Amino acid sequence: MRPVQRPKGFKLFLHRCKEQRALLIMSLPFLIWLFIFRYVPLYGWTMAFQDFKPARPILEQTWAGFKHFEFLFSNPRFLEVMRNTIAMSFINLVLGFVTAIGLAILLNELRNLSFKRIVQTISYMPHFLSWVVAASIVSYALSMENGIVNIVLVNIGILSEPVLWLGKAEYFWGIIGASDVWKNVGWNSIIYLAAIAMIDTEQYEAAEMDGATRIQRIWYITLPAMKPVIIILLIMNMGYILDSGFEAQYLLMNPMNMDYAENLDIFVLRYGISMGNFSLATAAGIFKTVVSFIFLFSANYIAKRLGQARLF
Amino acid sequence: MLKRSNLLLLLMLSFVLVFAACSNKDEVAKEDPKTESPTEGSEEAKIDTTPVTYSYFNAATSLKDIDTNTTRIGKILEEKTGVNFKVEHLVGDMNTRIGVMVASGDYPDVIVPDAAIDTLLDAGALIPLNDLLEEHGPDLLAAYGDYIQHMTHEDGKIYYIPFGPTVNEYIPNPNIDQGAFWIQRGILKEAGFPEIKTLDQYFELIENYAKANPQIDGMNVIPYTGLTYDWRFFAFSNAPNHLAGYPNDGGVMIDMDTHEASVYADSEYAKRYLQKLNEINSKGLLDREMFVANYDEYLAKLTSGRVLGFFDYGWQWGQARDALRTAGNPEREFMALPIVFDENTKDQYLDPPAFTNNRGVGITVSAKNPERIIQFWNELIKEETQKLVMWGFEGEHYTVDANGRYYRTEEQLLLTEKQEEREALGMTYFEWSWPRINGSFSDGNAVEPRRQPEVALASYTEGDKEYLNAYGIETFAQLFSDPDDRPWYPAWSANMEQGSPQQIFNQQADELVRRYYPRLVLAASEAEFEAQWNDFTTDYRKLDVDAYEIFYTEVVKQRVRGEW
Repeated sequence: MRPVQRPKGFKLFLHRCKEQRALLIMSLPFLIWLFIFRYVPLYGWTMAFQDFKPARPILEQTWAGFKHFEFLFSNPRFLEVMRNTIAMSFINLVLGFVTAIGLAILLNELRNLSFKRIVQTISYMPHFLSWVVAASIVSYALSMENGIVNIVLVNIGILSEPVLWLGKAEYFWGIIGASDVWKNVGWNSIIYLAAIAMIDTEQYEAAEMDGATRIQRIWYITLPAMKPVIIILLIMNMGYILDSGFEAQYLLMNPMNMDYAENLDIFVLRYGISMGNFSLATAAGIFKTVVSFIFLFSANYIAKRLGQARLF
Repeated sequence: MLKRSNLLLLLMLSFVLVFAACSNKDEVAKEDPKTESPTEGSEEAKIDTTPVTYSYFNAATSLKDIDTNTTRIGKILEEKTGVNFKVEHLVGDMNTRIGVMVASGDYPDVIVPDAAIDTLLDAGALIPLNDLLEEHGPDLLAAYGDYIQHMTHEDGKIYYIPFGPTVNEYIPNPNIDQGAFWIQRGILKEAGFPEIKTLDQYFELIENYAKANPQIDGMNVIPYTGLTYDWRFFAFSNAPNHLAGYPNDGGVMIDMDTHEASVYADSEYAKRYLQKLNEINSKGLLDREMFVANYDEYLAKLTSGRVLGFFDYGWQWGQARDALRTAGNPEREFMALPIVFDENTKDQYLDPPAFTNNRGVGITVSAKNPERIIQFWNELIKEETQKLVMWGFEGEHYTVDANGRYYRTEEQLLLTEKQEEREALGMTYFEWSWPRINGSFSDGNAVEPRRQPEVALASYTEGDKEYLNAYGIETFAQLFSDPDDRPWYPAWSANMEQGSPQQIFNQQADELVRRYYPRLVLAASEAEFEAQWNDFTTDYRKLDVDAYEIFYTEVVKQRVRGEW
C-alpha cells in the first residue's frame, strides 16, 4: 500500500484554503476594510514630501523633499518635546500597568460581592468622562484656593501651606500620570479581572490546603496566570509609546508648565494643523509610525527571545 | 482694471442715489411698497420668487442650527426673494471641518469660513462675485461703496463679502467693549472718585484698598488678576501696547508718522509693564493662580466680586459682567479706565473705525443660481431690513421719538435682551456673518442699538449714574480719548500666507512670550528679573523679527495708500 501523499508547498496552501474556506470568506470583508481604511490612506504620506495645498491634484503640488522633516528635527523645541512625550508615555505605561494589575488582584481577593461591585463601578466611572470634563475636575481639585488636594494635605500636616500644583512645571508629569490612573484604572483592570476569572479555583483550594498564605497565593497562582495577558498588552502598548495623550496635556497646560507639558501631538497641532501646514503634520505622523514600528517589533523580539507570550 | 473700477464707481453712484431716494420715500409711505421708485420696481419684477433652500455653513459662531424662514425676519425675506437658508454652525475643529470639505469638494452653498478662508481660496472653492454683484446686488454695492477696493483681491475679483462697513457716520460705543484696565467701582467710591491716569496711580489705589479691606464677603481679595489661558494669552501680553498709548493693532505698534511697524513684546514698554507686575507680585498683590487658571476659573473669579482690578478686553468677560450686574451690587461692578504709563501719554484704547477684510461670507462653486443668494443679500442689506435686524419691529422693540431718534423703553430693553426673543426674530442669526453695515442709518440713528446713546443711557442703572455723575460724563466711553485716524486699522487683519516666515515667527514668538512672561512676573528678585529678561530678549531676537516687521510695515503703507 502506497503511503498517502501529503500535499506540499503551494498545494498544501490550496488544500488548507479549501479546508478553511468558511473562515476565509468570513474574514474577507475585514480584509477589504483593512485595505481601504489602513492601506489606501498611506498614499497620503506623499504629502510629507510636498508643500501641500488642499484640493489640488497631485500633479499641481510642489515637491519639497525632506524640508518638513528637517524643520521638525532641527526645531530647537523638538528635543524637549520628545523628552516630554516619552517621559509622560513611560510614566503612564508603568503606572497604568501597576495600578490596574494591583486593583484587579485586590478586587479578586474581596469576598463581599456587593462591595466589590460598588468599588468596581466607582473606579471605572471616570473612564466615561471626556477629558474636557476630567481636566476641569483635576484643575479644580489642584486649585490653591480651595482645591481638595491642598486642603487634605495641609490638614493632615504633609504641607505647611498650599502648593500651586499646576504652576510647577516639574510636577506636571506626575499630575498627568495620576490623572490618567484616576481616570482609567478601573477600566484597565477589567481585562485582568477577566484573566483572573479564567484561573481554576481548585488551584487556590489546593494551595490553601498546603498552607499557602494569601500573599503566597497571589504570588504563585494569580500572577503567573496573568503573565501572558500582561506581556501581550505590554507589547501592544509599546507601539503607542509616542502617543502620550493629547487632551489631558492640552487642557492642563498653562504658561508656567508648558516646558514640561508640550508633547509631540501638541507641537504638531501648533506648527502643523493650526497653521494649515498639513505636510508637517504628515511628516510628524510618519516619524511617529516609524518609531512605533521599531518599538513594537523590538518588544516582540525580546519577548520571543525570553520564551514568553508574544504578539506574532 | 481702471475701466472696471470706473464702471463700478458709476454704478455705485447711481445706486447710492436710488438708494437714498428709496429710503426717503420709505419714511413717508412705509405702508405702501408700490410707491417705490420705478427703477427699483422694475428690478423687483425681475426677481424669481419660487421657493428655494440653500445650505449655509457658519464656522464663526455657534448657535442653534435653523432654517432662516422660521424667524420673523427670515420669513419676510423669503416672501420677497423666495430664498430660504438652512443654517448650520460649526461643531468641533474649524480647520478639520473645512479641510474635509475641501478634500471631498463637497461644499455648502454659502460659507462663512472664519479664519480658514485662505484654505478655501487656495482650493478655488469660492466663486468671484463681481458680475453677480453688478447685476443683482445694487444695494450691496452701495452699502459697501467705500470698501469695494478693500474687498477686491489682487486678481481684481471679489470672493467674499466682509461684514460691517461703516456707512454714513461712525458712532463710537458708549460702553467699553474693548481693552481697558478695569477696577472695582467700590474702590473709586471709597477713594472719593479720583482721576486715575497712570499705571502707578492705578496700582497704588488698589494696594491701599487691599490693605484696608483684606476680605470681601468673607473671602480673601484678589487685588489684581488677568486672563492668560491658551490663545487668550494676548489679553495679558497686549497690555504694554495700550499702556504706551496705542490701540490693538496686533503684535506690532504702528508709528503714526512713518507708518513703520515694530514689535513691542521685547520693548522697554513690555519691560516696564512686567517690572510693575513683578513689583506687585512681590507685595503679594497678584493673583497667585493668574497663570494657571483656565478661562472658566477666571470668569468665576471675576464673578465672585473679590477681584479688585484686571486688564482685559470687554468682549472676553461679558458673562462675568452680566452676572455681576444681575447680582445687583453696583459697588462690585467694574469700571473701565484708560490707563497709560505716563501722565502726558494720550490713551488710544477705543477702536478707530475698522474694517476687517480677511473674514467674510462667500458663495461656493456648489451653489446653483448664485444670483438668488445675491438677491437675498441685497434685500438684507437694505436699510429697512438692517433696521429690522438690528433694532427689531417699531413699536414692539423700539420707539421713535418726535425728532426721529430711536430709543427703547424699559420693557423694550428687557424684551430685546431676551435670547429667545432675539432668536425668534432672527436677530441672533442675521446680525453678524451676513452682509451688514456699521455706523449709522441715513436718518442719523446708530446701526447698532448698543451704540445709540439713548439706548445706552436708558440701560444705565442708578448705580451707573452715580459714577457717571461723579466723573461728569454721560457715557463710560467718555473717560477715554477719541481714536486718532488710522486708515490701516486694524493691522492684524492682514492676510499672512500659510507657512510664511512671518507666520512661523508669530507662532514661535507667541511661544517664547508665553514661556518667559510668567517667569518675569514671578521672578523672586530684581537680579533674577534682569537675567530672565536678557535671556528672553536674546531668544526673541534670534527669531526672524525683521520678516514680521517688514510684512506689517508694507501692509500698513499699502493701506495708507488706499490699496487694501
